[in-house]
Order: sequence, then C-alpha cells, then structure tokens
Amino acid sequence: MLFKDMKTNDQLIVGDKSFSSRLFTGTGKFNDQQTMVAALKASQSELVTMALKRVDMQHRDDDILAPLIKNGMNLLPNTSGARNAKEAVFAAELAREALQTNWVKLEIHPDPKYLLPDPIETLKAAEMLANKGFIVLPYIHADPVLCKHLEAAGCAAVMPLGAPIGSNKGIKTADFLEIIIEQANIPVVVDAGLGSPSHATLAMEMGADAVLVNTAIAVSGNPVAMSEAFAKAVQAGRQAYLAGLGGQSTQAVASSPLTAFLEASL
Amino acid sequence: MKIQVNEQPLELTDNITIEQLLIHLGKPLIGSAVAVNQSIITRTKWTETIINEGDKISLFQAIAGG
Repeated sequence: MLFKDMKTNDQLIVGDKSFSSRLFTGTGKFNDQQTMVAALKASQSELVTMALKRVDMQHRDDDILAPLIKNGMNLLPNTSGARNAKEAVFAAELAREALQTNWVKLEIHPDPKYLLPDPIETLKAAEMLANKGFIVLPYIHADPVLCKHLEAAGCAAVMPLGAPIGSNKGIKTADFLEIIIEQANIPVVVDAGLGSPSHATLAMEMGADAVLVNTAIAVSGNPVAMSEAFAKAVQAGRQAYLAGLGGQSTQAVASSPLTAFLEASL
Repeated sequence: MKIQVNEQPLELTDNITIEQLLIHLGKPLIGSAVAVNQSIITRTKWTETIINEGDKISLFQAIAGG
C-alpha cells in the first residue's frame, strides 16, 4: 500500500467520531491562552481535553472555550478531581451540561502524589457512564485484564498510561501496553508520561491507535514548535507500524552480500 | 431571599431563574454547569427553574486541563 493511500484511508474511529489526527492533546499548563491555541492548532489535534472546576466567586476565569470551539476542536472533558465512582459520574454529568458533549475522559486518581488511577472505582464508573449513554475513555494503569473489563463495560477506548501524569518519563509500561494492544477490540490511546516526540513514535510503532499529550508540549521551551514535532512523530510512528517493522535478531544479519570478492581477486 | 452560591451567602431581592442568576453574577452561560441542592439542572431548564429561599447553588465551569 502506498503511504498516500495509508494517509487517506487511515482514519481513527472512536465512538461516533472519526479522526484524521492520532494526536490528542490537553489544554492544561500552558503559560497563556494565546500560546495554548497556537500550539493546539500546530498539533493538528482534533480532540482536546478540558477539566471542570467549581467556579471561584471572587475571580473571573479566562474563557478558554470560545477559541477551541472556533477552531473546530472536539472537546473531551475529564473527571479530574473525582475520588470515587460516584463523584466521577457527577462530574461527567456536569461536564455534559457545561460542554454539551457525552464524551468523557474518565479519570479517578485519589492519590495526589502519583496520580495513579483507581482501577476499581474506574470500572464501576465506566459501567454506570456507559449505561447512561456516555462515550467513555477511561484513564487507567497499563493493566490488560482491566482493559478487557472496561471493553466489556462498553467503553469507547482505553487510555493506559506510559508513566505517571506529567512525569515526562516516557513508556515505562511497554510490555503491558503490547499485551493491551494485542488483545484490544477498541482503540488504545496511550496517555500520560509521554515526554518527548520519540516516546510518541514508540507508542505508535507498537500499534497504539493514538496518544494523548499535554505536559510535554505545554511546558516545553516552545510549545508551538513542540506540537509540530509531536504531530510529525505520531505520523512517523503510525506510518512505521502500517509499513510493518522488520524483525529483531540477537545476531548480526549482513546488509551487504558476503561474497569475499576481495580474496578471489588476489 | 437568602441563598448560597458555592458556599458563599448571597441575598436576592426577587425570585430569579438560574439563567438570570448566572447573568447577575457575570458568569458565562457557555461552558457552565449548575446544580441546585446537589441536583444538576439541565441547560434547557435554566430559563424556567426558579431559585428558592435557602437553595444551595453549585456553579461549575470548564477550564484548561489534561
């Protein structure tokens, strides 16, 4: 298959939407709104995450929504801050009202130090939200068994972590991501911990359907340039995956013919 | 009439709707969600839901996040 055909036909389907870009992005941690919008545009991302918070009555928050909607981005509200399934369902229902979408990035991480997701509460919440008609994308540890439970619960995708949120450590869960990818019948989006474009490429080469990146772009020296780098990295990794990587060998395998022609000419 | 909005006491002279309250407080209608006494009020009901004495209003707003 020609790469041109791959690009044209290689749409990612999640729930009821189709995406040309396999790079999902977050909106947090940018220095200012202008930089955020410019970086998200440069990323070519079509799905961006948002959070919800209780309004501070003393201060006025920036309206970050308008520029995102204006640029045609699909919104993926998260349930960050929820400590259990009940709170996550409440947060998802609030987000549905606030953003008029039934998509939700389900995240329940009660521990503030490592922000590791609670698998039991996440599964409970996923079942409840799927039954209520939400398109559920749960943020989870790279646990293949949990992923199958979430798939059976009706989730639209799973979002296993590469490393703790915001750590930029890269893919520390590679062996388990491989199992998840091999077994999944729904898209696998590697989320959290991807700190550089090469991490994103690796995830895509492994066969991940998409990646979600926030911190690595937002806190970089030049978020707009870093967004472009991630976009290219994701495309490169996807292209390599579709092309089919060559097998590995413990011994050297010669790339030139070993005909010993020098000896023969003596 | 005394109510609470996000735990802050607020005194209103008239019975007003949810939508009127948001406008009164200068909060955006887009990107907001409202619960009255822990029950979420859907956006389509904002113009007809009247706030009553003692109601505890919770206002939420979409913000940047990952």
